[in-house]
Amino acid sequence: MVLKLYAAPLSTASLRVAQILHEKKVPFEFISIDLARKENKEEEYLEKQPFGQVPYIDDDGFILYESRAITRYLALKYPEQGTQGLVPDIKDVKAWALFEQASSNEVANFESLARVIVYEKVFKARVGQETDLKAYENAHSQLSAKLDAYEKILGKQPYLAGETLTLADLSHLPFGTRLYLAGAGDLIDSRPNVSKWFKALKERESWKEIEKGITASREEW
Amino acid sequence: MVLTLYGYPRSTCTQRVAMTLHEKEVPFTFVLVDLVKGEQKAPGFLDKMPFGQVPYIDDDGFILYESRAIAHYLAEKYAEQGTPLIPKDLKAKALFEQAASIEAFNYNPTASKAVFDKIFKPELTGIPADEAQFQSLMAELGKKLDIYDQILSKQKYLAGNQVTLADLSHLPYAELLSQVGAKVFEERPNVSRWINELRARPSWQAVKGGVSGTA
Repeated sequence: MVLKLYAAPLSTASLRVAQILHEKKVPFEFISIDLARKENKEEEYLEKQPFGQVPYIDDDGFILYESRAITRYLALKYPEQGTQGLVPDIKDVKAWALFEQASSNEVANFESLARVIVYEKVFKARVGQETDLKAYENAHSQLSAKLDAYEKILGKQPYLAGETLTLADLSHLPFGTRLYLAGAGDLIDSRPNVSKWFKALKERESWKEIEKGITASREEW
Repeated sequence: MVLTLYGYPRSTCTQRVAMTLHEKEVPFTFVLVDLVKGEQKAPGFLDKMPFGQVPYIDDDGFILYESRAIAHYLAEKYAEQGTPLIPKDLKAKALFEQAASIEAFNYNPTASKAVFDKIFKPELTGIPADEAQFQSLMAELGKKLDIYDQILSKQKYLAGNQVTLADLSHLPYAELLSQVGAKVFEERPNVSRWINELRARPSWQAVKGGVSGTA
Protein backbone atom coordinates (compact mmCIF):
# COMPACT_ATOMS: atom_id res chain seq x y z
CA MET A 1 0.00 0.00 0.00
CA VAL A 2 1.30 3.47 -0.86
CA LEU A 3 2.63 5.50 2.07
CA LYS A 4 0.15 8.09 3.29
CA LEU A 5 1.38 11.52 4.40
CA TYR A 6 -1.04 13.39 6.65
CA ALA A 7 0.27 16.94 6.56
CA ALA A 8 -0.49 20.62 6.22
CA PRO A 9 0.73 22.14 2.94
CA LEU A 10 2.90 24.86 4.49
CA SER A 11 3.74 23.45 7.92
CA THR A 12 7.49 23.46 8.53
CA ALA A 13 7.50 19.92 9.87
CA SER A 14 5.35 18.72 6.98
CA LEU A 15 7.74 20.27 4.45
CA ARG A 16 10.66 18.59 6.22
CA VAL A 17 9.12 15.17 5.59
CA ALA A 18 7.87 15.92 2.07
CA GLN A 19 11.36 16.94 0.99
CA ILE A 20 12.82 13.62 2.08
CA LEU A 21 10.04 11.67 0.32
CA HIS A 22 11.26 13.48 -2.81
CA GLU A 23 14.95 12.90 -2.09
CA LYS A 24 14.38 9.17 -1.52
CA LYS A 25 11.83 8.88 -4.36
CA VAL A 26 9.20 7.28 -2.15
CA PRO A 27 5.70 7.20 -3.67
CA PHE A 28 3.17 8.81 -1.36
CA GLU A 29 -0.44 9.87 -1.10
CA PHE A 30 -0.88 13.36 0.36
CA ILE A 31 -3.83 13.88 2.67
CA SER A 32 -4.14 17.57 3.44
CA ILE A 33 -4.94 18.50 7.03
CA ASP A 34 -6.63 21.87 7.46
CA LEU A 35 -5.11 23.45 10.56
CA ALA A 36 -7.36 26.52 10.38
CA ARG A 37 -10.37 24.23 10.70
CA LYS A 38 -8.57 22.31 13.48
CA GLU A 39 -8.72 18.99 11.66
CA ASN A 40 -5.60 18.06 13.64
CA LYS A 41 -7.59 18.29 16.88
CA GLU A 42 -10.39 15.98 15.79
CA GLU A 43 -10.75 12.66 17.58
CA GLU A 44 -9.93 10.64 14.48
CA TYR A 45 -6.66 12.52 14.06
CA LEU A 46 -5.73 12.38 17.74
CA GLU A 47 -6.08 8.61 17.71
CA LYS A 48 -3.11 8.49 15.35
CA GLN A 49 -1.15 11.57 16.51
CA PRO A 50 -2.11 12.19 20.14
CA PHE A 51 -0.29 15.54 20.36
CA GLY A 52 -2.50 16.89 17.58
CA GLN A 53 0.45 18.00 15.47
CA VAL A 54 1.30 17.58 11.79
CA PRO A 55 2.58 15.54 10.06
CA TYR A 56 2.27 11.81 10.55
CA ILE A 57 2.68 8.93 8.16
CA ASP A 58 0.81 5.68 7.71
CA ASP A 59 3.25 3.30 6.05
CA ASP A 60 1.08 0.30 5.28
CA GLY A 61 -0.37 0.37 8.79
CA PHE A 62 2.78 1.58 10.57
CA ILE A 63 1.96 4.96 12.13
CA LEU A 64 4.85 7.34 12.81
CA TYR A 65 4.98 11.00 13.83
CA GLU A 66 7.66 13.61 14.68
CA SER A 67 9.15 14.84 11.39
CA ARG A 68 12.78 14.02 12.23
CA ALA A 69 11.82 10.47 13.27
CA ILE A 70 9.98 10.07 9.96
CA THR A 71 12.87 11.34 7.84
CA ARG A 72 15.33 9.02 9.59
CA TYR A 73 12.96 6.08 9.10
CA LEU A 74 12.71 6.84 5.37
CA ALA A 75 16.47 7.21 4.98
CA LEU A 76 17.09 3.92 6.81
CA LYS A 77 14.27 2.03 5.09
CA TYR A 78 15.33 3.04 1.56
CA PRO A 79 19.13 3.06 1.60
CA GLU A 80 19.52 2.01 -2.04
CA GLN A 81 17.18 4.45 -3.78
CA GLY A 82 17.19 8.18 -4.29
CA THR A 83 19.85 10.42 -2.76
CA GLN A 84 22.58 8.44 -1.04
CA GLY A 85 24.20 9.16 2.30
CA LEU A 86 21.39 11.16 3.91
CA VAL A 87 22.23 9.20 7.03
CA PRO A 88 25.63 7.53 7.52
CA ASP A 89 26.13 3.76 7.51
CA ILE A 90 24.65 2.60 10.82
CA LYS A 91 27.75 0.41 11.35
CA ASP A 92 30.02 3.47 11.27
CA VAL A 93 29.50 4.47 14.88
CA LYS A 94 31.61 7.64 14.73
CA ALA A 95 30.07 8.93 11.50
CA TRP A 96 26.63 8.28 12.94
CA ALA A 97 27.60 10.15 16.12
CA LEU A 98 28.71 13.21 14.12
CA PHE A 99 25.39 13.06 12.27
CA GLU A 100 23.57 12.95 15.62
CA GLN A 101 25.64 15.89 16.83
CA ALA A 102 24.68 17.97 13.79
CA SER A 103 21.02 16.94 14.11
CA SER A 104 20.89 17.79 17.78
CA ASN A 105 22.49 21.14 17.02
CA GLU A 106 19.81 21.90 14.49
CA VAL A 107 17.14 21.31 17.11
CA ALA A 108 18.79 23.00 20.09
CA ASN A 109 20.86 25.79 18.53
CA PHE A 110 18.94 26.68 15.36
CA GLU A 111 15.26 25.81 15.32
CA SER A 112 14.60 26.79 18.92
CA LEU A 113 15.71 30.34 18.11
CA ALA A 114 14.56 30.61 14.49
CA ARG A 115 11.12 29.54 15.65
CA VAL A 116 10.84 32.52 18.01
CA ILE A 117 11.96 34.95 15.29
CA VAL A 118 9.42 33.59 12.81
CA TYR A 119 6.65 33.46 15.41
CA GLU A 120 7.19 37.05 16.51
CA LYS A 121 7.62 38.61 13.09
CA VAL A 122 5.55 36.48 10.73
CA PHE A 123 2.90 34.52 12.58
CA LYS A 124 1.84 37.28 14.95
CA ALA A 125 1.50 39.80 12.12
CA ARG A 126 -0.73 37.34 10.26
CA VAL A 127 -3.12 36.99 13.17
CA GLY A 128 -3.04 40.67 14.06
CA GLN A 129 -1.00 40.37 17.25
CA GLU A 130 1.81 42.69 18.30
CA THR A 131 5.43 41.57 18.05
CA ASP A 132 7.29 41.22 21.34
CA LEU A 133 10.36 43.16 20.21
CA LYS A 134 12.43 42.09 23.20
CA ALA A 135 11.80 38.39 22.55
CA TYR A 136 12.58 38.93 18.87
CA GLU A 137 15.85 40.77 19.52
CA ASN A 138 16.92 38.27 22.15
CA ALA A 139 16.37 35.35 19.78
CA HIS A 140 18.02 37.23 16.91
CA SER A 141 21.20 37.98 18.83
CA GLN A 142 21.39 34.44 20.22
CA LEU A 143 20.92 32.92 16.78
CA SER A 144 23.56 35.26 15.42
CA ALA A 145 26.07 33.86 17.93
CA LYS A 146 25.12 30.29 17.02
CA LEU A 147 25.57 31.04 13.32
CA ASP A 148 29.06 32.36 14.05
CA ALA A 149 29.83 28.82 15.23
CA TYR A 150 28.19 27.39 12.07
CA GLU A 151 30.40 29.73 10.00
CA LYS A 152 33.53 28.24 11.61
CA ILE A 153 32.33 24.65 11.17
CA LEU A 154 31.39 25.21 7.52
CA GLY A 155 34.77 26.79 6.90
CA LYS A 156 36.38 23.41 7.61
CA GLN A 157 33.89 21.02 6.01
CA PRO A 158 31.16 21.33 3.36
CA TYR A 159 28.31 19.93 5.44
CA LEU A 160 27.36 19.94 9.10
CA ALA A 161 28.10 16.26 9.73
CA GLY A 162 31.25 16.17 7.56
CA GLU A 163 31.90 15.61 3.87
CA THR A 164 28.43 14.38 2.90
CA LEU A 165 25.02 16.04 2.76
CA THR A 166 22.77 14.56 5.44
CA LEU A 167 19.30 15.02 6.90
CA ALA A 168 20.93 17.34 9.43
CA ASP A 169 21.63 19.93 6.72
CA LEU A 170 18.25 19.58 4.97
CA SER A 171 16.40 19.91 8.25
CA HIS A 172 17.35 23.59 8.37
CA LEU A 173 15.36 24.50 5.27
CA PRO A 174 11.84 24.96 6.64
CA PHE A 175 12.75 27.48 9.35
CA GLY A 176 15.81 28.80 7.52
CA THR A 177 13.71 29.94 4.59
CA ARG A 178 11.16 31.50 6.92
CA LEU A 179 13.86 33.68 8.49
CA TYR A 180 13.80 35.64 5.23
CA LEU A 181 10.05 36.17 5.58
CA ALA A 182 10.75 37.56 9.04
CA GLY A 183 13.25 40.04 7.62
CA ALA A 184 16.11 38.19 9.31
CA GLY A 185 17.72 36.68 6.21
CA ASP A 186 20.87 38.70 6.87
CA LEU A 187 21.67 36.19 9.63
CA ILE A 188 22.46 33.75 6.82
CA ASP A 189 23.46 36.12 4.02
CA SER A 190 26.07 37.98 6.05
CA ARG A 191 28.10 34.81 6.66
CA PRO A 192 29.85 33.56 3.50
CA ASN A 193 30.19 29.87 4.46
CA VAL A 194 26.69 29.64 5.91
CA SER A 195 25.27 31.52 2.93
CA LYS A 196 26.92 29.26 0.35
CA TRP A 197 25.80 26.13 2.21
CA PHE A 198 22.22 27.32 2.62
CA LYS A 199 21.89 28.53 -0.97
CA ALA A 200 22.88 25.10 -2.28
CA LEU A 201 20.29 23.44 -0.05
CA LYS A 202 17.55 25.80 -1.27
CA GLU A 203 18.36 25.02 -4.89
CA ARG A 204 17.85 21.29 -4.59
CA GLU A 205 15.01 20.04 -6.75
CA SER A 206 13.38 18.38 -3.77
CA TRP A 207 13.01 21.74 -2.03
CA LYS A 208 11.99 23.71 -5.12
CA GLU A 209 9.12 21.29 -5.73
CA ILE A 210 7.55 21.91 -2.34
CA GLU A 211 8.74 25.32 -1.17
CA LYS A 212 5.42 26.92 -2.06
CA GLY A 213 3.57 24.15 -0.27
CA ILE A 214 2.83 20.46 -0.61
CA THR A 215 0.14 20.22 -3.22
CA ALA A 216 -0.06 16.73 -4.59
CA SER A 217 0.42 13.04 -4.07
CA ARG A 218 3.23 11.44 -6.01
CA GLU A 219 2.54 7.87 -7.00
CA GLU A 220 5.51 7.51 -9.35
CA TRP A 221 9.08 8.78 -9.64
CA MET B 1 42.44 5.63 26.94
CA VAL B 2 39.56 6.18 29.36
CA LEU B 3 36.73 8.36 28.06
CA THR B 4 36.76 11.91 29.43
CA LEU B 5 33.56 13.84 30.10
CA TYR B 6 33.93 17.62 30.21
CA GLY B 7 31.01 19.22 32.01
CA TYR B 8 29.54 20.81 35.06
CA PRO B 9 28.39 18.59 37.94
CA ARG B 10 24.87 20.03 38.18
CA SER B 11 24.34 20.69 34.49
CA THR B 12 21.29 18.77 33.26
CA CYS B 13 22.95 17.94 29.98
CA THR B 14 26.07 16.69 31.74
CA GLN B 15 23.87 14.50 33.95
CA ARG B 16 22.13 13.12 30.86
CA VAL B 17 25.46 11.87 29.50
CA ALA B 18 26.79 10.65 32.84
CA MET B 19 23.64 8.61 33.45
CA THR B 20 24.11 6.93 30.07
CA LEU B 21 27.75 6.15 30.91
CA HIS B 22 26.54 4.44 34.08
CA GLU B 23 23.79 2.50 32.25
CA LYS B 24 26.30 1.29 29.69
CA GLU B 25 28.93 0.50 32.35
CA VAL B 26 31.53 2.73 30.66
CA PRO B 27 34.18 4.08 33.03
CA PHE B 28 34.95 7.77 32.61
CA THR B 29 37.07 10.62 33.92
CA PHE B 30 35.24 13.84 34.72
CA VAL B 31 36.80 17.23 34.05
CA LEU B 32 35.05 20.22 35.57
CA VAL B 33 34.26 23.13 33.26
CA ASP B 34 33.45 25.97 35.59
CA LEU B 35 30.39 27.66 34.10
CA VAL B 36 30.36 30.28 36.85
CA LYS B 37 33.82 31.41 35.76
CA GLY B 38 32.80 31.25 32.10
CA GLU B 39 35.30 28.52 31.21
CA GLN B 40 32.95 27.29 28.49
CA LYS B 41 33.57 30.50 26.54
CA ALA B 42 37.38 30.29 26.70
CA PRO B 43 39.16 29.92 23.32
CA GLY B 44 40.61 26.50 24.21
CA PHE B 45 37.14 25.22 24.99
CA LEU B 46 35.54 26.75 21.89
CA ASP B 47 38.04 24.88 19.70
CA LYS B 48 36.45 21.63 20.89
CA MET B 49 32.86 22.81 21.37
CA PRO B 50 32.23 25.86 19.18
CA PHE B 51 28.83 26.63 20.70
CA GLY B 52 30.36 27.19 24.14
CA GLN B 53 28.15 24.69 25.94
CA VAL B 54 28.66 21.68 28.19
CA PRO B 55 29.13 18.77 28.00
CA TYR B 56 31.44 17.26 25.43
CA ILE B 57 33.38 14.00 25.46
CA ASP B 58 36.85 13.03 24.35
CA ASP B 59 36.74 9.34 23.51
CA ASP B 60 40.38 8.54 22.81
CA GLY B 61 40.69 11.60 20.57
CA PHE B 62 37.14 11.52 19.17
CA ILE B 63 35.41 14.73 20.25
CA LEU B 64 31.62 14.79 20.43
CA TYR B 65 29.10 17.29 21.83
CA GLU B 66 25.29 17.63 22.20
CA SER B 67 24.22 15.43 25.13
CA ARG B 68 21.60 13.43 23.21
CA ALA B 69 24.11 12.75 20.41
CA ILE B 70 26.67 11.58 22.97
CA ALA B 71 24.06 9.33 24.62
CA HIS B 72 23.16 7.81 21.22
CA TYR B 73 26.84 7.24 20.43
CA LEU B 74 27.42 5.45 23.73
CA ALA B 75 24.28 3.35 23.30
CA GLU B 76 25.38 2.28 19.80
CA LYS B 77 29.10 1.83 20.52
CA TYR B 78 28.43 -0.22 23.66
CA ALA B 79 25.29 -1.94 22.40
CA GLU B 80 26.51 -5.29 23.74
CA GLN B 81 27.13 -4.19 27.32
CA GLY B 82 25.01 -2.65 30.06
CA THR B 83 21.35 -1.80 29.45
CA PRO B 84 20.14 -1.91 25.82
CA LEU B 85 18.97 1.67 25.23
CA ILE B 86 18.22 1.89 21.47
CA PRO B 87 16.33 -0.80 19.54
CA LYS B 88 17.91 -2.37 16.45
CA ASP B 89 14.81 -3.24 14.41
CA LEU B 90 13.84 -0.55 11.81
CA LYS B 91 10.31 0.10 13.08
CA ALA B 92 11.22 -0.16 16.77
CA LYS B 93 14.09 2.24 16.15
CA ALA B 94 11.71 4.65 14.40
CA LEU B 95 9.37 4.55 17.41
CA PHE B 96 12.39 5.28 19.59
CA GLU B 97 13.26 8.30 17.41
CA GLN B 98 9.64 9.41 17.69
CA ALA B 99 9.85 9.23 21.49
CA ALA B 100 13.21 11.04 21.53
CA SER B 101 11.72 13.79 19.39
CA ILE B 102 8.68 14.02 21.68
CA GLU B 103 11.06 14.65 24.58
CA ALA B 104 13.00 17.28 22.64
CA PHE B 105 9.96 19.22 21.42
CA ASN B 106 6.99 18.48 23.67
CA TYR B 107 8.78 18.33 27.02
CA ASN B 108 12.25 19.88 27.05
CA PRO B 109 11.45 23.45 25.94
CA THR B 110 8.79 24.00 28.61
CA ALA B 111 10.53 22.02 31.35
CA SER B 112 13.87 23.75 30.80
CA LYS B 113 12.34 27.22 30.66
CA ALA B 114 10.44 26.56 33.89
CA VAL B 115 13.58 25.34 35.64
CA PHE B 116 15.65 28.23 34.33
CA ASP B 117 13.08 30.82 35.47
CA LYS B 118 12.45 29.20 38.84
CA ILE B 119 15.93 28.01 39.85
CA PHE B 120 18.85 29.17 37.70
CA LYS B 121 17.87 32.76 36.90
CA PRO B 122 17.25 33.66 40.59
CA GLU B 123 20.58 32.03 41.47
CA LEU B 124 22.38 34.02 38.80
CA THR B 125 20.63 37.37 39.22
CA GLY B 126 19.24 37.40 42.75
CA ILE B 127 15.84 38.39 41.36
CA PRO B 128 13.12 36.09 42.76
CA ALA B 129 11.24 33.80 40.39
CA ASP B 130 7.92 34.86 38.88
CA GLU B 131 5.49 32.39 40.47
CA ALA B 132 2.62 33.12 38.09
CA GLN B 133 4.88 32.50 35.11
CA PHE B 134 6.00 29.20 36.67
CA GLN B 135 2.43 28.03 37.23
CA SER B 136 1.58 28.95 33.65
CA LEU B 137 4.49 26.86 32.35
CA MET B 138 3.45 23.99 34.61
CA ALA B 139 -0.06 24.15 33.15
CA GLU B 140 1.43 24.00 29.66
CA LEU B 141 3.64 21.05 30.59
CA GLY B 142 0.64 19.42 32.23
CA LYS B 143 -1.25 19.38 28.93
CA LYS B 144 1.62 17.53 27.27
CA LEU B 145 1.89 15.13 30.20
CA ASP B 146 -1.82 14.36 29.85
CA ILE B 147 -0.92 12.90 26.48
CA TYR B 148 2.06 11.09 27.96
CA ASP B 149 -0.37 9.59 30.49
CA GLN B 150 -2.51 8.26 27.64
CA ILE B 151 0.49 6.75 25.88
CA LEU B 152 1.84 5.25 29.11
CA SER B 153 -1.51 3.66 29.92
CA LYS B 154 -0.97 1.36 26.94
CA GLN B 155 2.76 0.67 27.17
CA LYS B 156 5.44 0.74 29.85
CA TYR B 157 7.75 3.28 28.27
CA LEU B 158 7.57 6.03 25.67
CA ALA B 159 8.85 3.97 22.75
CA GLY B 160 7.19 0.68 23.71
CA ASN B 161 7.72 -1.83 26.47
CA GLN B 162 11.48 -1.48 26.77
CA VAL B 163 13.24 1.45 28.39
CA THR B 164 15.19 3.62 25.96
CA LEU B 165 17.29 6.78 26.01
CA ALA B 166 14.10 8.69 25.28
CA ASP B 167 12.73 7.88 28.74
CA LEU B 168 15.99 8.56 30.57
CA SER B 169 16.36 11.92 28.87
CA HIS B 170 13.47 13.30 30.91
CA LEU B 171 15.12 12.80 34.27
CA PRO B 172 17.39 15.81 34.76
CA TYR B 173 14.55 18.33 34.47
CA ALA B 174 12.01 16.05 36.17
CA GLU B 175 14.27 15.92 39.21
CA LEU B 176 14.65 19.70 39.39
CA LEU B 177 10.94 20.28 38.92
CA SER B 178 10.12 17.92 41.76
CA GLN B 179 12.67 19.73 43.94
CA VAL B 180 10.71 22.96 43.53
CA GLY B 181 7.43 21.28 44.39
CA ALA B 182 5.92 20.81 40.93
CA LYS B 183 3.23 18.14 40.98
CA VAL B 184 2.82 17.65 37.24
CA PHE B 185 4.19 14.11 37.33
CA GLU B 186 2.49 12.93 40.54
CA GLU B 187 -0.93 14.11 39.39
CA ARG B 188 -0.97 11.67 36.47
CA PRO B 189 -1.00 7.98 37.50
CA ASN B 190 0.84 6.45 34.54
CA VAL B 191 3.33 9.31 34.25
CA SER B 192 3.93 9.03 38.00
CA ARG B 193 4.60 5.30 37.80
CA TRP B 194 6.94 5.81 34.83
CA ILE B 195 8.98 8.70 36.21
CA ASN B 196 9.36 7.16 39.68
CA GLU B 197 10.63 3.93 38.21
CA LEU B 198 13.15 5.84 36.11
CA ARG B 199 14.27 7.95 39.06
CA ALA B 200 14.93 4.80 41.08
CA ARG B 201 17.42 3.46 38.53
CA PRO B 202 20.94 3.19 39.99
CA SER B 203 22.33 5.18 37.05
CA TRP B 204 20.19 8.16 38.04
CA GLN B 205 20.89 7.77 41.74
CA ALA B 206 24.60 7.91 40.87
CA VAL B 207 24.37 11.31 39.15
CA LYS B 208 21.37 13.14 40.57
CA GLY B 209 23.39 14.89 43.24
CA GLY B 210 26.05 15.93 40.77
CA VAL B 211 28.38 14.20 38.34
CA SER B 212 31.79 12.80 39.24
CA GLY B 213 34.13 10.43 37.43
CA THR B 214 34.26 6.68 37.90
CA ALA B 215 37.64 5.78 36.43
